[in-house]
Amino acid sequence: MNEFKINKENKITSGFTTPEGYFDDFSIDTNNRIILPKSRIKVISINKKRWVTSVAAVLIIVLSITFFTKMEVSNSDDNVLMENYITNNSEISQYDLITLLDNKDIENLSVELNLNDPKMDEEFDNTNEIEFYLTE
Amino acid sequence: MEEKEFILQLLNPKTQNNAFQKLLTDYKRPLYNHIRNIVLDHDDTNDVLQNTFIKVFQNLNNFKGESKLYSWMYRIATNESITFINKKAKLSSKTSQELKSKIVENLEADIHFDGNAIQIKLQKAILTLPEKQQLVFKMRYFEEIKYQEMSTILGTSVGALKASYHLAVKKIEIFMTKD
Repeated sequence: MNEFKINKENKITSGFTTPEGYFDDFSIDTNNRIILPKSRIKVISINKKRWVTSVAAVLIIVLSITFFTKMEVSNSDDNVLMENYITNNSEISQYDLITLLDNKDIENLSVELNLNDPKMDEEFDNTNEIEFYLTE
Repeated sequence: MEEKEFILQLLNPKTQNNAFQKLLTDYKRPLYNHIRNIVLDHDDTNDVLQNTFIKVFQNLNNFKGESKLYSWMYRIATNESITFINKKAKLSSKTSQELKSKIVENLEADIHFDGNAIQIKLQKAILTLPEKQQLVFKMRYFEEIKYQEMSTILGTSVGALKASYHLAVKKIEIFMTKD
């Protein structure tokens, strides 16, 4: 067996290789990571702008409180307006309402009118305007 | 150009860019080889090399010129490589030695390795050495760094480095002689 002597052998290299063009790409990549961020891109410090952010936040909160309070007030106004609108502009006619009444509703309504009340007869007898009511 | 003058150029914002390009051109290859010998894998070497240059750039202001720029950069590269390999080993629940053994076992399949059987055997022989001896052997044998320079990089005396290399060579010769 031949004894291995490191100084007598031909130099053994590590055998490690790199991809083609690696060192050129490396310079470009490293420059992008080091030179560009430092000199060309302006970095705005968050600390310097912190007071602006704080003022903006306070303003937003104050404005939102006023806004939402006003919203509630105008909501009650809106309800009245809405009712008025429905009353005045609704396309629901009397006939539409009648179709919506069932027998029970009609019975309830008829209870209100007692045409055979003697007091009523007496009133009619003593009133001269009876003819007016009948024709109306 | 005097080294002091070059360092001043690196620190001056007006000349910094050009000076840094020179630093990249001069050091990317030797530092690549140094890192690759420690971490073994090409992609890992690329990451560590980039981190090394970034650290060098970020710490230029702290470089007091007490040691040479060359030794300072090699020291950063060595520390970055050792930290990297330890972290990687920890992530895969291995010792750094086990991780390196695994990489060497798979060298034949590595597309960025074109060594023959003897080169693979030498890598295996190196792995039998204690960590410090591995580093000294690689820096002396593959990278041909002088003891004096190695001494400033590793912070070890020249005598201790020579002894370490001598021991490493003995063990490697025994390993290489075996079948």
